[in-house]
Amino acid sequence: MGRPNGGQSINIRRNFENGKHKGSNIASNGSLFDAYKVFNIASAAAASDAKVGIFFTFEGLNLIHKEGHKNLPLPEGKEHFQEGFKKANVPSIEELVGIAQEMDVKLIACQMTMDVMSLEKDAFVEGIEVGGAASFIEFAKNANMSLTF
Amino acid sequence: MESTKVLDAKGLACPMPIVRTKKAINELADGDILEVHATDKGAKSDLTAWAKSGGHELLQDIEEGDVLKFWIKKG
Repeated sequence: MGRPNGGQSINIRRNFENGKHKGSNIASNGSLFDAYKVFNIASAAAASDAKVGIFFTFEGLNLIHKEGHKNLPLPEGKEHFQEGFKKANVPSIEELVGIAQEMDVKLIACQMTMDVMSLEKDAFVEGIEVGGAASFIEFAKNANMSLTF
Repeated sequence: MESTKVLDAKGLACPMPIVRTKKAINELADGDILEVHATDKGAKSDLTAWAKSGGHELLQDIEEGDVLKFWIKKG
């Protein structure tokens, strides 16, 4: 029980609405840094008229865990960057998750990882979808941009 | 240059200037001009790229001290 710790694995797929289908796929592994990589690019893509989906597996579930996403750890030895985040006025991950959802970014949590970690849907932020690898592949197959972190 | 609306995005870090610009332009009509003020140094290349990908026209951009100003015509 409890939230997963350590690295993260996320996939993003984006689809442009102007007739052409484009997509992106992000898998992330790490900590607060990775959360920024994923949500900054997802938000920027959504703001650029892309349809974006993110697949969260294993430690990646941290990024959408109700409590976990509000308090993501900095990578070991990089704790001093905390000050830099404040100084640069970087939005919080909580804020970025809200912005992503506002722009219809699809957040898909991996069912299998949830089963392994005994996590239920209500452990995550509101509005997520739960699916398996095949649902993600179906979502990502027309993506013309895939990013993996 | 005249603008329909001014967006103050000063002090905001990436990706917020783009996110706010997107929201602001959604409220405008085609041909309207949005003026954006930003201090994020990445905004110059970002807003240029953003305008291009969204089919909008970046009419002008200038630097006034630390502030970058952009005029974007909604496409």
